[in-house]
Amino acid sequence: MTTGWLLLMAGAALGLSLVAGARWARAWLALTVTGAAAGLGAALSVLLGGGDWEWRNDFPPGGEPLHLRLDGLSAVFLALVAIVGAAGAGYAREYWSERRYPASAPRGRIWWSVLLLSMGLVLTASNGLHFLMAWEIFALAGYFLITLDNQRSGVRTAGWLYLAASHAGTMVLFAFFAALAARTGGWDLGPVRDQANLAPLFWLALFGFGVKAGFFPLHIWLPSAHANAPSHVSAIMSGVAIKLGVYGILRFSGWLPVPAAAGWVVTGLGAASALLGITFALAQNDFKRLLAYCSVENIGIILIGTGAALLAVTHGGALWGRLALAGALLHVWNHGAFKSLLFFGAGSVLHATGTREMSRLGGLWRAMPWTAGLFAFGSIAVAGLPPLNGFVSEWLVYLGLFDAVTGKGASAWAAAVIPAAILLAAAGAMAVAAFVKAGAMIFLGAPRTPSAEHAHECGPRMLGPMLALAGVCVAIGLAPVLFWPAVTRAVTAWRPAWAAADTTAPLAALGAVQVTLALLFVAAVVILNYTISADQRRRGPTWDCGHALPTARMQYTSASFAAIPAGWFHWILLPERKTRKPRGLFPADSLRLERVPETVLERVIGPLGAAIMLASATVLRLQHGRLQFYILYVLAGLVALGFLVLLGGAP
Amino acid sequence: MIPISDFILRLGWWLLLAPLLPGIINKVKAWVAGRRGPPVLQLYHDLAKLWRKGVVLSTLASPGFVIAPAVAWAALAGAALLTPLGPLGGCLSFRGDVLLLIYLLALARFCTAWAAMETGSAFEGMGAAREVSYAVLTEAAIIAAVLSLSVQTSSVTLVTMLSPSAGAGAALLAAGLFTVLLAENCRVPFDDPNTHLELTMIHEAMILDHSGPPLAAILHGASLKLLLFSVLLVQAVLPMGQLSPPAAAGALAAGVLIVTVGVGLVESLLARLAFRRVPLLLTTAFLLCVFALLVAWKEGAK
Repeated sequence: MTTGWLLLMAGAALGLSLVAGARWARAWLALTVTGAAAGLGAALSVLLGGGDWEWRNDFPPGGEPLHLRLDGLSAVFLALVAIVGAAGAGYAREYWSERRYPASAPRGRIWWSVLLLSMGLVLTASNGLHFLMAWEIFALAGYFLITLDNQRSGVRTAGWLYLAASHAGTMVLFAFFAALAARTGGWDLGPVRDQANLAPLFWLALFGFGVKAGFFPLHIWLPSAHANAPSHVSAIMSGVAIKLGVYGILRFSGWLPVPAAAGWVVTGLGAASALLGITFALAQNDFKRLLAYCSVENIGIILIGTGAALLAVTHGGALWGRLALAGALLHVWNHGAFKSLLFFGAGSVLHATGTREMSRLGGLWRAMPWTAGLFAFGSIAVAGLPPLNGFVSEWLVYLGLFDAVTGKGASAWAAAVIPAAILLAAAGAMAVAAFVKAGAMIFLGAPRTPSAEHAHECGPRMLGPMLALAGVCVAIGLAPVLFWPAVTRAVTAWRPAWAAADTTAPLAALGAVQVTLALLFVAAVVILNYTISADQRRRGPTWDCGHALPTARMQYTSASFAAIPAGWFHWILLPERKTRKPRGLFPADSLRLERVPETVLERVIGPLGAAIMLASATVLRLQHGRLQFYILYVLAGLVALGFLVLLGGAP
Repeated sequence: MIPISDFILRLGWWLLLAPLLPGIINKVKAWVAGRRGPPVLQLYHDLAKLWRKGVVLSTLASPGFVIAPAVAWAALAGAALLTPLGPLGGCLSFRGDVLLLIYLLALARFCTAWAAMETGSAFEGMGAAREVSYAVLTEAAIIAAVLSLSVQTSSVTLVTMLSPSAGAGAALLAAGLFTVLLAENCRVPFDDPNTHLELTMIHEAMILDHSGPPLAAILHGASLKLLLFSVLLVQAVLPMGQLSPPAAAGALAAGVLIVTVGVGLVESLLARLAFRRVPLLLTTAFLLCVFALLVAWKEGAK
């Protein structure tokens, strides 16, 4: 019963922090961190052996009895909410401080607490009606956090787009829960895997939760919202909030029966999101948009694992399905950790220079060495490179995909799994490109503008949470075997029938090799630095093939770095170019501007919306308030009806 | 768990033998052109000289300028340790090690490109951009090749995967992987290691500003990568499973030598491709690997 008490404590602390947030920043931080720690404790007690926690009460708000539940699956997500929630609260104390934002800092604190509470409720609610309420509060809290800095029009537009997209998803979820309640005869949620007529509802859930998860092409709200929000909000939105969409998809694909095509569709969506998400990321010039698109890629990786698990459910492959889903769930944690780390790093850069354009930065490592090092660290993790955590979860997903096709002969599902594995590899290589670009353009080379030259390192309160998250990345990377029991528990919660399948992922061996590799890296760095002791180092200007006066403007820019792959994906990136070529013998000025639009939003949804508005405006012209015309309409209607009766005969 | 002596001995052999390959390639090229050419052991002399020298660091470079080549070097050495050596087997072998190997190569690429960007030089930016872009296609080709071996042998462990069966699949795989080898190691027709025009280079453009021991680490790492790819290519294509251990070791060594001579011949007989053609050739390599995968899948169905 400790789980229940810990959850109660978390709820109470976060509830109190709601009150404290208005005035007392320090007390708010203490309460939020306490609440998060208690939440983490509850999640861990479920994940590490304690039974599922369930609580019913007949006290009926909204006419429905309360029913809360924390099982393996929701505990994985609750742990993530707790860790990033606490880290972000610590980061916000300096980043969105009272001194810099006297008007919005208290609001930010209160909505942060509301967000954490509502996410916790979404994860524990076991009643459709209460789930929807919590989901709506969660969406609203997200909206108010994104628009904290509501003086800027870009922020307001991004907020509206988020709210509209979010509600489009919620509307479908209303349909989903209503249909579910109608067919099961009650709002109470729980496993009903044997009721085959519920299977088609999966598509409603996939769309409704997919908008929040932000996979391609439902990601339209994500880039602008994550880029314009304050960075600690971007971190929790990108690291945690979109994962609740994944939670929804997993929750209801686990509790309800799934249609046979579900695995195919989810794997396909995942592969498309992975490749296109990282393609859009690579083409961005705004580093927060780059990180946002990269979240689309990582959701794609999670969905590839989920899709493979769904295929395994349909085709009876418990062994590989477990591996793929375990990879997806571990990636939920991993992406939460390194993406929050990267957004915190991005926030520090924004804090120090005031710009999100990579073409205006450069050379920041000198002013902010800690941020630069941590960002590089996060880049290695997000690109899925060993020996950090990103690699471990991608490796598990790959292993699941490989096991699905090896030694199975000609299996039908191979046609989904093999392309997914190949696209995952291509997306991995693109992620390397994207993060070399981001790290290099922001931190390396020469400063491109004065603001980049006069940057300053952020304070310890912003660095502390970043260091903690980097620690999580190292821990999962070097000792993955410690996290395996928790993940398998969640997999078992998703599909209890698989509990008997004995999957041995050689994570202990992988961990040992990763540690060996890490030691090898350290040894190589020490040896190389030792050979060039201080007296043997000379400093000189960059050689640059003998160019005498290189300037900062002659450096490779972010657009030129991405030019080759961007050319391959020209058909979907559709970059808008503005060029003024140099003319005459002594050209005065020349210009080349390039912007990559959000293709789905601006080329599909935008024109569609415009067409609907145009049609509505045309129809509206009929309604002008002149009575004689209205009488004419009635007359015309009557005549038309008369004709219908005459021509069609008696009904 | 792992005998430490085996680990150190293997690492030593890999590090010691790697610089031999570029020497052989140069000798072949000189022989085809009718020149005497540099001695086979030239790279050893160059590395020894560089290791003793001091370094000149760009004023813009961060400590990452030295750390990144070191990590890249160690990543390639780690990848080499994962590679099984015919009858000797592997020293760090576990289920799924092949994926770690591929991602270690990606880590080496990340580090080399990062170090190149440190100096703010446009040439090095160009080289790094090309390196990371073309890798997208080679990585896809490598995964397709690994999938074909994996489907064929029902395994994801390098030691058991690298015992392929002879046939059409092996020929396709050989062609595909040889092209990938040329691209990943920046050889003609993808890149010209001897060119003198920075605008047209990939690997050499990335290391323009490196000097002294870090440059030695990068050059040695490049030769290590070439040896690694040759060893993998030979084992992925030659069915050596039935041979006795000494014969298998001999076949492996002979195979690596043939691959090296092959690289030298390609380099003597072909010109570098125009950059816009590079993706086409890489896509061809990818398709060859995909066809090998289809062949393996078809055979598995029987």
